[in-house]
Amino acid sequence: MSGKEINKSHVKDDENIEVWEDLVHIKDLVLSLIICSITTLGAYLIAPNEPPKPLIYGLVGAVIGFVISSIAIKPKRTFQYVEEEE
Amino acid sequence: MELDLLLILQMVLASLVGTVLYTIIGIAPGTDETAVLAPVTMVLVLTGFEPIVILTFFISAIIAKKLTDSIPVAIAGIPGGVMSAPMVEHAMILKKHGMPEVSIRKMASGSVIGTIIAVPLSLLLANFLLPFGDTLSQYANQVFLGGAIFLALMTKNRWFALLSIIPFAFLIQGLRQLYWEIGVVPEGTTVFTSFFLGITLGPVILKLVELLSRKVRERLPKYGIKEIKLIKRKAEKGFPNPFKILDKKEVGTSSLASFLGVLTFFMSPVGMTIFLGETLTSKIKDPVKRAARAVSSMDGLTNAGYIAGTLIPLIAIGLPLSPTAIGPGGALFNAPPVFTPDHNIHHLLSMGEFVLATIIGAVVAISITFYITIKYAQQICAFVFKYVPHEAMLGLFIGLVLMLSYMDAGVINILGVLLVGLVAGFLHRKGVNYGVQFMTLYAAPWLVSLFF
Repeated sequence: MSGKEINKSHVKDDENIEVWEDLVHIKDLVLSLIICSITTLGAYLIAPNEPPKPLIYGLVGAVIGFVISSIAIKPKRTFQYVEEEE
Repeated sequence: MELDLLLILQMVLASLVGTVLYTIIGIAPGTDETAVLAPVTMVLVLTGFEPIVILTFFISAIIAKKLTDSIPVAIAGIPGGVMSAPMVEHAMILKKHGMPEVSIRKMASGSVIGTIIAVPLSLLLANFLLPFGDTLSQYANQVFLGGAIFLALMTKNRWFALLSIIPFAFLIQGLRQLYWEIGVVPEGTTVFTSFFLGITLGPVILKLVELLSRKVRERLPKYGIKEIKLIKRKAEKGFPNPFKILDKKEVGTSSLASFLGVLTFFMSPVGMTIFLGETLTSKIKDPVKRAARAVSSMDGLTNAGYIAGTLIPLIAIGLPLSPTAIGPGGALFNAPPVFTPDHNIHHLLSMGEFVLATIIGAVVAISITFYITIKYAQQICAFVFKYVPHEAMLGLFIGLVLMLSYMDAGVINILGVLLVGLVAGFLHRKGVNYGVQFMTLYAAPWLVSLFF
């Protein structure tokens, strides 16, 4: 490929990509998708088979997956406080 | 009308949950309104909560989301949602002049004005349109097809959008026919919910599937870590008053913008925000004053447009005939087997109940979010940026879609929804917006039947 990109300013650890307007790391994304899918579908499937219990279980499972992912994965953002100018 | 205390308590609780949840989601960058509101509302409807509780939840959720998604715009120049994107330019001017807190206060106050104007005006307008609702709903299929064509012609890529309508309808009906044929769903039961969510998350699904290709992965631009600068600001004292934060002219322009936002409820709220926001402020010379006027009136307008877009079709027609109603509010109109186009919140609630649900939802959401926005915007932003990874947000919504796909028609439907999502995502990328796709989804059974 002739048009290969020259990584001028990129440092080694530049490996995040943009999905849906924010940065993600592919490995972390896969991890989060697996965690959330298992907790959500898992909770839905183990729930007693009388509506609406499966859905409630599933919703709770989704929230649990969200919380686990949030703990396990570091956001790809840093921020710092700047003193107000002017 | 007698409403027992328990129900009112449930409504207040629902609006509290909606407010807190969508304050967090609102601040998180890049979240699309339809993608974050529709799945959760859908699950709540299917779970079997009282219709009036669902409506209260939804009203508080949209108000909270709309008010808070402008916070990251003001603080960091990052839009918290599609709707706040038009405000970035003006907010950046205020930020450049060292006044991000002015931006937040003006936006939040504009939102309050938008809500105060939109709630009564929408109820009035809905009441006025009520006699036409029945006639309109008799021709639901034609109206949806007309809507799809109208919205397609309004997009930039209009001929492509127009061309996509019939093939997309065939894809949807084809899958339904297949499910009946192999017996995963009984004949006559129409799979809707999961297709709806497939369209909603289509752009994300397409992007995720593309990542499976090494070539695509290698070609994507790589980033380090997003650096966000927060400007320290002083804490506010006392309970803020929106009418003191805005000057007279700003109150006037915000009110006018909100009023027009209600009247144009059937148009795309983002489009109207850009158009009206720029038109109403173009004559102001001083860039700071102009920016302050723009952010307050734009925030008022988006809020008003959202409330009107939900309430008017819901009360007057019972069919989702606005971009807001068919997108974020879709579950209030159609979520089989609980809601169908002939049996949804429109048919189940009386006028009094609509008013009550709207007022409880609006008052809870606006008082909490306005207060904390003015007082703690920075702390909340810091919390979300620091602790909520974007990966978890994507996981949450994909998880919900998986579950609802499985629920609708078993394992095969997970693949079916993947297919719908891929096609929808592709169309979306080519400029065919949600409105066109949702209208097509509604019109599909009738549209396909015309050919045979």
